[in-house]
Amino acid sequence: MILTRPAIRAALQAGEITIEPYDPARLSPNAYDWRLGDTLRVCAGELDAATPTAFVEQVIPATGLVLKPEVLYLGVTLEKTGSETYAQMLNGDRTIGTLGIWVHVSAPLGHQGHAIRWTLEIRAAKPVRVYPGMTFGKLVFLTAFGTPTSYQQQLSKYADTDGIDISRLYEEIPGGVL
Amino acid sequence: MILTGPEITAAARDGRLTIDPFELEQVNPNSYNVRLGPTLLTYADTVIDSYRPNLTREMEIGTDGHVLQPGELYLGHTLEQVGSDSFVPLLFGRSSVGRLGLFVEITAPIGDIGFHGQWTLMLSPVRPLRVYAGMKIAQIMFFVSTGEIDPYEGKYQAATGPQPSRYWRDVAPVKAVAS
Repeated sequence: MILTRPAIRAALQAGEITIEPYDPARLSPNAYDWRLGDTLRVCAGELDAATPTAFVEQVIPATGLVLKPEVLYLGVTLEKTGSETYAQMLNGDRTIGTLGIWVHVSAPLGHQGHAIRWTLEIRAAKPVRVYPGMTFGKLVFLTAFGTPTSYQQQLSKYADTDGIDISRLYEEIPGGVL
Repeated sequence: MILTGPEITAAARDGRLTIDPFELEQVNPNSYNVRLGPTLLTYADTVIDSYRPNLTREMEIGTDGHVLQPGELYLGHTLEQVGSDSFVPLLFGRSSVGRLGLFVEITAPIGDIGFHGQWTLMLSPVRPLRVYAGMKIAQIMFFVSTGEIDPYEGKYQAATGPQPSRYWRDVAPVKAVAS
């Protein structure tokens, strides 16, 4: 089940959900409308699941930055969000979708215990100019069924991330051998 | 409601869901990491025809991996057989794989109650990307359903290996005509 606006507000007050910075005006009927942070990592080369990805880091100026198709951009949410009680699911919103922007590449789930600024995996269908701090998508909160376990208690790669993370899959594939 | 990791483990043990093979270390707080199977399919013709069976090319991922190219669509599969007769499964790429610019599914994350088999993955990279058989590529999560259960009896039941689209089976018979 997905939390409604009053339920998200109550969970924030009870400390079951944290959103920093939090702006009550960004609560929508069943989501929180999150924003794009000001930094991008541009990945324009060949990638290998067994090797750290090469990238160039860029700050998005106030005048905006044009995303190009065929290039992978890793971005970050402006907000740090967390919950031990609820699972989170992050997506773009219809305004961003109709600009032809994917905000992640098929990985929307935030596990219980996640407390992160989310790394975004951005791809553009057409050249499109984006701006720092613009509203970029919706974050919903899901009730859980069963005994909880926290992401913080797992030996987890991204449990405490505060910025953009490149994939650390290479740690699982030493020397390209599984 | 989304199942917690301990509930996924309990349900895999008592039969409310199946994950085969099951490894405890692949359980996350709200999902299970599934691995990439060794077989990939690509469509052989330049244009895919929704209403007809399409020829495919099969390849095996070698020990040094395989480079996926942008602009190509690869059908892969999970190593694991996954299904449930009571929960609704959803499959998404892992964030570690998304950060490599690889789409793992296209528009169809939701599974059917009662489907059991290897899941077909729709692999499409933003940049050229080398992948390896056996790498943990996606996450399957499970949702509690409400209502009476009328399980899946569809055309992909008990799938083994990647399955190309079988939309053509649902189309009223069309005469084979030369194009």
